[in-house]
Amino acid sequence: MENEWDSVAFNSRDPVYLQVVRYFKEQIATGKLQAGQVIPSRRELGAMMKINPNTAQKAYKEMEEQQLIVTEGNSPSRITGDGAVLRTIRSELIGEAVDAFVGSVRKVKVPIDELLDLVRTKYMEEMNRQSGSDEGGTNHD
Amino acid sequence: MIKVENVHKRYGLRKILNGVSFTAEKGQITCLIGINGAGKSSLLHAIMGLTPIHGGHIAIDGQPLGTAGYERIAFVPDHLTMPPGMRINEAMRFMEDFYKGWNMARANDLLRFFGLESTERLGNMSKGTAAKFSLMLGLGQDTDYILMDEPFSGIDLFSREKITEVFSSELIEGRGVLFTTHEIAEMERLMDKAVLIQDGKIIRSFDCEAVRYQEGKSVLDVMREVYQS
Repeated sequence: MENEWDSVAFNSRDPVYLQVVRYFKEQIATGKLQAGQVIPSRRELGAMMKINPNTAQKAYKEMEEQQLIVTEGNSPSRITGDGAVLRTIRSELIGEAVDAFVGSVRKVKVPIDELLDLVRTKYMEEMNRQSGSDEGGTNHD
Repeated sequence: MIKVENVHKRYGLRKILNGVSFTAEKGQITCLIGINGAGKSSLLHAIMGLTPIHGGHIAIDGQPLGTAGYERIAFVPDHLTMPPGMRINEAMRFMEDFYKGWNMARANDLLRFFGLESTERLGNMSKGTAAKFSLMLGLGQDTDYILMDEPFSGIDLFSREKITEVFSSELIEGRGVLFTTHEIAEMERLMDKAVLIQDGKIIRSFDCEAVRYQEGKSVLDVMREVYQS
């Protein structure tokens, strides 16, 4: 399992804490963070992601509220084991990506069948390309 | 909390600070932003009592400035204030002798963190090394607040990156940090609060995450709005 905490590119217009939450969701959806896994402390996260400790704190609070992570007593926080929450994250990320795609392709007014064919072809190409480079051992994504 | 209330200051006939009011909270990183000559450094000097003010009040946790106040605030100036012939370890011993809040163990951690060479003479340090040294002297004190005057100014990229790390580390945890800068691109995600100053007046003061959340604007966006209008 690899997490590249220090290579997250933050944009300057979205709240940093929400970008951190999103990063966690992506890591969960792609299996890089797994159910029940212990996550870094707030202080460690701040140092690793090079963010303000208050922002790390706020991100963790948000993730606790969304039930993404659980913290019991003084033990370190963990990714939730709740399957329903984990499935929600996945569909949420897919939904957002599809919304963005539809939003930009809509302007071109392409017939739906043609569009779906294109998506299928492109998606397969991309998956093949990626699994090829994974075998090469150079892709860390 | 550092509370600055309606502070005025002038040099001769020139008004430097013209009714400045703002607060910097403990446990937060507050950035005082303004172009050169806006009054940033004067304001820090006024908070430290290094320069007289001609009106208004400055209080640290409700108490006016005084010796008790200074023990709770450390100041990192933008230039060396110790003799150039001194070595880093001598400067650290000097701090131990004269500053009640000096924490030698922490200072040694900082020495390693910044990769400073303890026998180096202050006069031989590069500008980047001098900035790290000054920061080591400031952060090496157990104070509730730390003020930094232009910690990034004129410094090479790698020194800047190292100094930026301080802001996401436990070195500042729980303390109130107030620093000035006019280069905010690298710092904007690290600060809690931005205070924009122009012509000796505070023109806007805001919570950075709140502005991103509510208005979808970066600190730089707000600066452009304010300074170019």
